[in-house]
Amino acid sequence: MPDQIWFPLVITLKIAILSTFVVALIGIIISYILARRDFRGKLIADSLVTLPLVLPPTVTGYLLVVLLGKNGFLGNILYDLTGWTILFTWEAAVIAAFVVSLPLMVKTTTAAIEAVDREFEYAAFTLGRKELETALFITLPLAKKGILAGTVLSFARAVGEFGATLMVAGNIPGRTNTMSISIYSAFQAGNSELANMLVIILVVMSLLSMAITAKLVNSWKI
Amino acid sequence: MGIKVDFRKRYYNKKSDKKRGIAATFTLDVQFEVGNELVVLFGRSGSGKTTTLQCISGLLEPNGGKITVNDNVYFDCHKRINLPVQQRSLGYVFQNYALFPHMDVNKNIGYGLKGWDKEEKEKMIREMLQMLQIDGLENNYPSQLSGGQKQRVALARALAPKPDILLLDEPFSALDMVVRMKLREKIKEIQRELEIPVLFITHNHVEAFTIADKVIIFHEGRVQQTGTPEEVFYHPKNRHVAELVGLSNIFEDTVVNEENTPGTLTLKCGNLQVTANKPDFDCNISERITWGIRPENLRILPLSDSLESGENTYQACVKSVVNKGASRVLALEIEEHENLLIAEIANQLFEDVDLKAGDKCLAMIEKSRIVIF
Repeated sequence: MPDQIWFPLVITLKIAILSTFVVALIGIIISYILARRDFRGKLIADSLVTLPLVLPPTVTGYLLVVLLGKNGFLGNILYDLTGWTILFTWEAAVIAAFVVSLPLMVKTTTAAIEAVDREFEYAAFTLGRKELETALFITLPLAKKGILAGTVLSFARAVGEFGATLMVAGNIPGRTNTMSISIYSAFQAGNSELANMLVIILVVMSLLSMAITAKLVNSWKI
Repeated sequence: MGIKVDFRKRYYNKKSDKKRGIAATFTLDVQFEVGNELVVLFGRSGSGKTTTLQCISGLLEPNGGKITVNDNVYFDCHKRINLPVQQRSLGYVFQNYALFPHMDVNKNIGYGLKGWDKEEKEKMIREMLQMLQIDGLENNYPSQLSGGQKQRVALARALAPKPDILLLDEPFSALDMVVRMKLREKIKEIQRELEIPVLFITHNHVEAFTIADKVIIFHEGRVQQTGTPEEVFYHPKNRHVAELVGLSNIFEDTVVNEENTPGTLTLKCGNLQVTANKPDFDCNISERITWGIRPENLRILPLSDSLESGENTYQACVKSVVNKGASRVLALEIEEHENLLIAEIANQLFEDVDLKAGDKCLAMIEKSRIVIF
């Protein structure tokens, strides 16, 4: 396979897998808190997490550039500590993918956790189990279908991420040209052969991941 | 020993209402003490029974008061003690079983035995399976069990950690009659064997009557009466209790006492008079009092029996007849009395009179069965 195809595929998978892993981990924690705890500012927290879902990706990307740039709040701290700027690296693409796919994970997982009957948790409490244990061994296993759905959606979103990624990571061949960005530039350059190839790979990949997920879910009784 | 409960729990329309001093929309204010006995909490839905169990178990925190179980303080508002649920030694059985669907029967029963030695744990699970007669089901998942089996597993799970008290929240309401009757016996048997206090919520009369050593009647967040089933069902203390225990004929009438038979009093109901035994509290002439009679304590006689034949006998017109299987329920209209009387008679006795809507008959209110409160 030529490098024109191979590199975008590998970097896209690397970015999507890493971002989805972090999204799943943090998303589950946020979702549990949103579904099961009452605290001041819950509505604000919920809105902040959901915001990237409704904002145009370019706006999200712009805000990330402002935040992560050398003069940005986070970027400045990072630069002072390490002398490294994250913008226009594949790591920045991971952050973009994380931010835009987190709402999908949180929305789906929160709904799934809320749908778990609290009586199961109460029963676990009366049997002497602490909240953390109960969450890990009762609540989350019973919400696993929703958690998986959220993870798959987040992965798909990360693979397809374009706007915010372009803003924070650019389109640097051999460094940050992900599949969706490569398709765009191939199309712009009139290289329809490359564009077709990348599109076919992306479609097949998406179909496969959906089929595998459906099969997995069907094998679960609960 | 036993459970000692005296607490308050308030509910507000909005959270901010409490701070602003706006009155609570519902206040639960309960006091009772139970020993090693089977106690039924009886009352309508919304009367505070479940909230009471949740406060005892620690799933809810009361606003004030004290809860102790066998000298362990579970909650004490003044000393700021509120033992977490996990540290209260109790078994809780939910109406819908709440069996963990992703665990088999073995795992469900063993879930409360955290930190037990493996052999001890297995021994306890076997013991529970035997006690509740569900051996052979240990590798089944909850979805593969019948309702009765599920509730047996739920009981086994609650009892396995050897709790100090057992709390059951309408445990049998989703089960059919036959299974329910068997499980009632089982609960009684278990209580006698383990000798722990058992609190059992129900709103089913028969259930309350058949299993309880003691009944606690709830109405609108307050305990109305506590006593044996006989005391509560035959001698309700007030109108709320009377209505709850199925005393469906309740009237408010004036005492007239014209005949001076000692030990009795006469009530004037419209143009009718009813004679009743004097209650153990004072009733003055022309005072309005509430009285009632259970539907099964009305006697229905054919019209051919003489009207003069007995006290409290009236001519009545049948408005409706409903067959309940073993008995029939009749709505009777008595001339010159505005309220309908409800009578319930065994089907065998009903065959003798054989009435249908529109027929006339005699209705006799048994003097000794009249309840005055």
